[in-house]
Amino acid sequence: MHFGSLLLNSFELQHLLPSAKLEVGHHLYWQLGGLHLHGQVFITSWIVIGLLLIASFAATRNVQRIPSGIQNLMEYALEFVRDLTKNQIGEKEYRPWVPFVGTLFLFIFVANWSGALVPWKLLRLPEGELAAPTNDINTTVALALLVSLAYFYAGFKKKGLGYFAKYVQPTPVLLPIAILEDFTKPLSLSFRLFGNILADELVVGVLVLLVPLFVPLPVMLLGLFTSAIQALVFATLAAAYIHEALEGHGEEGEAH
Amino acid sequence: MGMMFYWLAVESSVAELSESAEAHGFGINTDIFEANLINLAIVISVVVYFGKGFLGKILSERRAAIEADIKESEARKQAAIEAQKAEEQKLAQAEAEAERILAQAQASASSVTEQILAQAVAEIQRLEESASQDTSSSQERAIAELRQRVVELSLKKVEQELQSQLANNEDAQRQLIDRSIALLGGPS
Repeated sequence: MHFGSLLLNSFELQHLLPSAKLEVGHHLYWQLGGLHLHGQVFITSWIVIGLLLIASFAATRNVQRIPSGIQNLMEYALEFVRDLTKNQIGEKEYRPWVPFVGTLFLFIFVANWSGALVPWKLLRLPEGELAAPTNDINTTVALALLVSLAYFYAGFKKKGLGYFAKYVQPTPVLLPIAILEDFTKPLSLSFRLFGNILADELVVGVLVLLVPLFVPLPVMLLGLFTSAIQALVFATLAAAYIHEALEGHGEEGEAH
Repeated sequence: MGMMFYWLAVESSVAELSESAEAHGFGINTDIFEANLINLAIVISVVVYFGKGFLGKILSERRAAIEADIKESEARKQAAIEAQKAEEQKLAQAEAEAERILAQAQASASSVTEQILAQAVAEIQRLEESASQDTSSSQERAIAELRQRVVELSLKKVEQELQSQLANNEDAQRQLIDRSIALLGGPS
């Protein structure tokens, strides 16, 4: 009875004044010189970064020999990230890339989960609404371009200009495809992450709009799962691209 | 396609909702349903409940593993320290033994040296003695021989002289006899 009345209540409310709404495409614009910044993305990014920083400081403030509490948790996270990087890049060269890949993974993971777990909508902005930073294409493009820079840097650092040899390595016929790959990599990386997170938030938002209670729960839980998977996928692919740049086609062929 | 649909959806929703007068500026949204608060609370509690169990198990296992590892390595360290101590003791023993042997060897060496030196000195003395004995005896012998020879030669010379002086000289013979008789105390 109670539940029913609640539902009915909200339904009426929706008709009277559309309270639950989707605000996609609205942004809290900040002006910085000639740039229009999406303020809500920055706010949530800073919060996510702050969370990670606080967790890191808390974990390393009082380092014990036998880890407990947050130190144990963060060490576990570090181990996870290190194993991920090691699996992708290989025992020999993975070490310098752990911070980069680990930062990507942790930032994306916490950002995604913050979007799925934190009731951002409690805070009303002048325009737009707070959500996961990764549901803005600008964030994911920035991350993907960082990955591009990283693997180019890795390749040039390892082989110098010889890095370009990998473009014509199996056969020069594939040169256009090899060049195209450099553009599709950041494109697919950014759109995959952005699309998944935005789609998840949209689905949850639409379901909440239609049925405010309980029905969105499975989708929200699924969203948590997808968010975690997307963070893992992004970090894994970043590490894989770096590995590819480090190895090159020729060496890979020899290894097989 | 997906993007197109998304933009269309956005446009429509924006069009639908744009007429709703919304408060400008920052604020707190008190609408529980709009903030999706109940669902989020449920999701968070589910995550905390299951996550705590899952993560807690992993973390406690990790902690236990680390603890066991540290304990084991500490035990190994202790054992290694003890072994080192034992070996050091053995080393000290061996060093003492070596020192003892060295001292013994030195002592025996010095005693042997002394002995040999004493022997050598005694030998030298003996040799010197025998040598000096030899020299003195041969000197004496030489001297005795010389004496005898001198006596012999002088006797021979005297005899010769005597013969040469007395044999062909009656006068001298007589004189000599007289003198001898006078010497004997006869009537002169």
